[in-house]
Amino acid sequence: MRILGFDTATNACSTAIVRDGRVVARRLEPMARGHAERLMPMILEVMDEAGEDFSALDAVAVTNGPGAFTGLRIGLAAARGLALAGRLPCLAVTTLEAVAAGVPEAELHERQLLVVLDAKRADVYAQAFAPDLTPMGEPRALLPDELPTLLMAGGKGRDRCAVVVAGDAAGRALAALDAAGITAIRSAALDSPDAAVVAGLAAARWTPGAMVAKPRPLYLRPPSTTTPKKRRRTR
Amino acid sequence: MRVLGIETSCDETAAAVVDGERRILADEVLSQQDDHRPFGGIVPEVAARAHLEHIDGLIERAVEKAGITFADLDAVAATAGPGLIGGVLVGAMTAKALSAVLKKPFIAVNHLEGHALTARLIGNLDFPYLLLLVSGGHCQLLVVEGVGRYRRLGTTIDDALGEAFDKTAIMLGLGYPGGPAVETWAAKGEPKRFPLPRPLKGRPGCDFSFSGLKTKVRQTVEALPQDENGKLTDNDIADICAAFQAAVEDVLANRTANAIAAFRARHLGPAALVVAGGVAANAAIRKRLAALASEQGFRFIAPPPRLCTDNGAMIAWAGIERLRAGLTDGLDFAARPRWPLDPDAPAAAGAGVKA
Repeated sequence: MRILGFDTATNACSTAIVRDGRVVARRLEPMARGHAERLMPMILEVMDEAGEDFSALDAVAVTNGPGAFTGLRIGLAAARGLALAGRLPCLAVTTLEAVAAGVPEAELHERQLLVVLDAKRADVYAQAFAPDLTPMGEPRALLPDELPTLLMAGGKGRDRCAVVVAGDAAGRALAALDAAGITAIRSAALDSPDAAVVAGLAAARWTPGAMVAKPRPLYLRPPSTTTPKKRRRTR
Repeated sequence: MRVLGIETSCDETAAAVVDGERRILADEVLSQQDDHRPFGGIVPEVAARAHLEHIDGLIERAVEKAGITFADLDAVAATAGPGLIGGVLVGAMTAKALSAVLKKPFIAVNHLEGHALTARLIGNLDFPYLLLLVSGGHCQLLVVEGVGRYRRLGTTIDDALGEAFDKTAIMLGLGYPGGPAVETWAAKGEPKRFPLPRPLKGRPGCDFSFSGLKTKVRQTVEALPQDENGKLTDNDIADICAAFQAAVEDVLANRTANAIAAFRARHLGPAALVVAGGVAANAAIRKRLAALASEQGFRFIAPPPRLCTDNGAMIAWAGIERLRAGLTDGLDFAARPRWPLDPDAPAAAGAGVKA
């Protein structure tokens, strides 16, 4: 099975080709902006390196958020365009799942995993996972000091939960957990989704040939809008 | 030659297929007006979300309605600016992805060039010609010298004309979008009851200004009696709209007359005045400009209203013009929220940074 994976939703741009579970080409460039310029060239680079053609792919896989609104739309628009022209299924995984899947097994040993991504605001995007990476709830947008509510209470005080934290807002999360008296370590995993993980995760969940719905963005927040104040005149 | 055109720079999501014989094979437009109406104007994030939701479906339908397959396309063109960048990126990324899979050129189209070249989509027209581009975001007079070659004669130093229409409509409680509503009410009103200014009329040059006119409309509205629901009488609304429409027509005619003189000073032979952009759908404005053109011996060209408001056909056509000129773009093209047609034009006197 040949899958092209990519991610543009957070602080990096990455692309990869995964063939039968093996990563055959991969790029990852940290960047705060410029994803829209780099994404397609980076896709063509991994396609070239893997000697792959769009017509031979089985699917494309993309992160659908949560993340920067513009960033996740860049990836989703490209994925839906590739899927349309190449008649390919388009698979989606969340950024939080992708970061979680990149955490080394050794770090997870009997620890809960908290993935926390920067929302460029007071709140963060977060999701907790059991040591076997089963999600312990839906992805959420919340304030760092609300993060302990995502964790499973396993006892009292210091033993309540052993936690490993991953993601590009791990620093803020660790400070908040510490303030709540929860012991946590920081994961050595990449703090943004790795396209190879995105492709691998999507492949593992997909039955080749199965129809999939178009991927939808996971914004977690409505657009910030204001309705007009009382109009001077209303009809 | 067949080109797909994608437009997502404001509040219309659109995809069209046009061929080299000027045939519009498919022209799909989805207006987001209902999504934005509760907010009294366009909300960029709401627009970007809606573009992502719909653009691939519209493209699929356009190709199907054109009776072709993706393999029959010669290039993929998309608006790459100027406009609301979140939406522009959705269309541009979709186009880049199609281009990569189909191994056909990607063409980054300046949205304003789409409007500027529409006159050549609807009929034979040689360069150079004079263009009045009037929309919700722009109000400019330009000499169209060739594909990618523009000389700006004047621009608004404050509001775009479409913006002035929309704001007038909001002050009168006519809702969003306001242009068509103001035009309809104006037809029922008496234009001379309320005196409104004609900014820059009679001054040399081709620049525009509409903020003073907008302010005077507001002051006029505030001075009128209203009923217990804050409503004006239908008569008052119609008369204000008529006065506004008359003022706008006078200003456009005066500034365009100056542009005609400037055009004549440099270009002899047959000449044409083209009006384009969303405000060009206003029938009274078209009539006034047609009369002016005829007085001055200029051919007058106004695309049908459907091709004046934002659409994919004009982007596909601009793509055809650029493809013929050998102008294609790389997949690393950076979309541009601001993208003047004439980058060498000096800043208009008194203009803000957006002009």
